[in-house]
Formats: sequence, C-alpha cells, structure tokens
Amino acid sequence: MEAQAHAAPASTATGIPNGKLGIWVFLASEVMFFGGLIAAYIVLRSGHPHWPGPEGHLDARLGTLNTLVLICSSTTIVLALAAAKRGAKAAIRRWLLVTVLLGATFLVIKGFEYHAKFSHHILPSTNVFWSCYFVLTGFHALHVLGGIAFNLVVLAWTFDPVSWSARGHRLELAGLYWHFVDIVWIFLFPLLYLL
Amino acid sequence: MNTAASAVRTYLIIWGWLAGLMLISVLLSSLPIPRATVILLVLALSSVKALLVALYYMHLKMDRRLLILVALFPFVLITLALGVVFSSAFVRL
Repeated sequence: MEAQAHAAPASTATGIPNGKLGIWVFLASEVMFFGGLIAAYIVLRSGHPHWPGPEGHLDARLGTLNTLVLICSSTTIVLALAAAKRGAKAAIRRWLLVTVLLGATFLVIKGFEYHAKFSHHILPSTNVFWSCYFVLTGFHALHVLGGIAFNLVVLAWTFDPVSWSARGHRLELAGLYWHFVDIVWIFLFPLLYLL
Repeated sequence: MNTAASAVRTYLIIWGWLAGLMLISVLLSSLPIPRATVILLVLALSSVKALLVALYYMHLKMDRRLLILVALFPFVLITLALGVVFSSAFVRL
C-alpha cells in the first residue's frame, strides 16, 4: 500500500470544491438532455397502438446482461474511490481497469446488438421505434465512451506521482459521471427492452 | 480502516440490491399481470435503483444539501416540461 496525498481542492464559498459543483451542474444539464429524449419516446410510444412494430422486439437477455455489466462497473468505480481514500494505489488501478473493461464489454455487447439489427436491415429509418432506439442507445453509448476515456485518463495519472498529487481528486468526478451513465441505462433498459 | 471496510461493505450490499431489483424487473415484465401494473412497478423499481446509486454511490446521502438541490433541479424542470407535453399530447381541446 502506497500513501497517496493529493492536493486538497481550494476552499470555496459553497464549501463544495468547484470541480465537484461543476460536474453536478453538468450532470443536471445531462438529465435535461436525456429527460427530453425519454419524454419524446414515451409520448411517441403512447400514440402508437402497434409498438414496436412488425420488425420484432429487442433481446431482453442481452439488455439484462448489459444492465448487470453497468451495475458492476458502478460498483467497481466506487471501490476505486474507496481505495483512493485509504491510499491504496494498486487497488485504485485494479478497480479503474476493471471499470474500463466493463464499460468496453457494454459497448461490445451493444455493438453485437447493432450488428444484428443492421444485418436484418433494421435501421433508424425503419420505423419510429427503431429511430428512438438508435438515438437513445447511440447517445448513451457515446456517453459510455466518454466515461471510459475519462477513466483511462485518471488511470494514467496514477502512474505519475506529480499528476496524481495535483489531479487525483478528479477520480471522484470520473465516478460521478460514470454513475450518471449507469442511472440513464437503469431507465433505458426497462423502457426499451421490458415494457 | 474500519470506516473504509464498512463503506466497502455498504457498496457491495447496494450492488446486491441493484442486481436483485433488476432481476425482479425482468421477472415482472414476463408475468401475466395487467400491463399498466407492470409499467408502474418496473418504473418504480428503476426509480429505487437510481435513488440507491445517487444516495450511496454518488454519496448524495452524505454530501452537502446544495448538491442535492442541484441534482433535483432538472427533475423539477422535466416535470414542468412533461406536464406541458402530456397535456398537449393527450388532452384534445
């Protein structure tokens, strides 16, 4: 176990570090973004008597597996944060790497799903359900990709004592973003696959 | 060290709840019960899961109230927006 002392963020008028407050405001804007898309999906769905249409449903088994993968990744990144609090750098690296791999697994499974649909000539233009499906899951996948990149940057900082000392506290911000991505999927999964 | 161990234990318990609630949702969706009931129950379970993640994994339970307000603010706006959307989508004047 290596002792890790990273620079404490400067004190602020709110008592909350600026970076942390900033990421929460950013996440609030993201809630509005996905909230709008999900609301549009619900309204469109309510107005269509035959949903999702003759092209068939999504495979709930793959959706369930992907949900489990994201839930596990949320746990592993919070374990990385717990490791950071006790100064265990090896554990931080291990949990961050597992988080990144789980995120990549999610994208690979999603890629298989997309490939299966494309090979059956199911495209965003097929009908309104598939338009919604590709828009919602596509934007979500882009957010997963962004989260993986953020986690990889934090992982890289753990190998450089100077960077870790100056920026190590941003692991918490990466975690907050990752949990948000998980929460979005927690709602997308039942809406698209189960209901 | 005890506090750290206790936090890790809490995280693992929450993982158990999240996985369990997800499996209950999948099970519910396949049961022969009224559609409206399934929708209500599954979305309620999703909300509980989201709340668990926000409170325990995002540490809103322990954080300052300002962050809770920031987190809740978009939901107030979404409720207002949905009120307008649903009233125009389903109420025919």
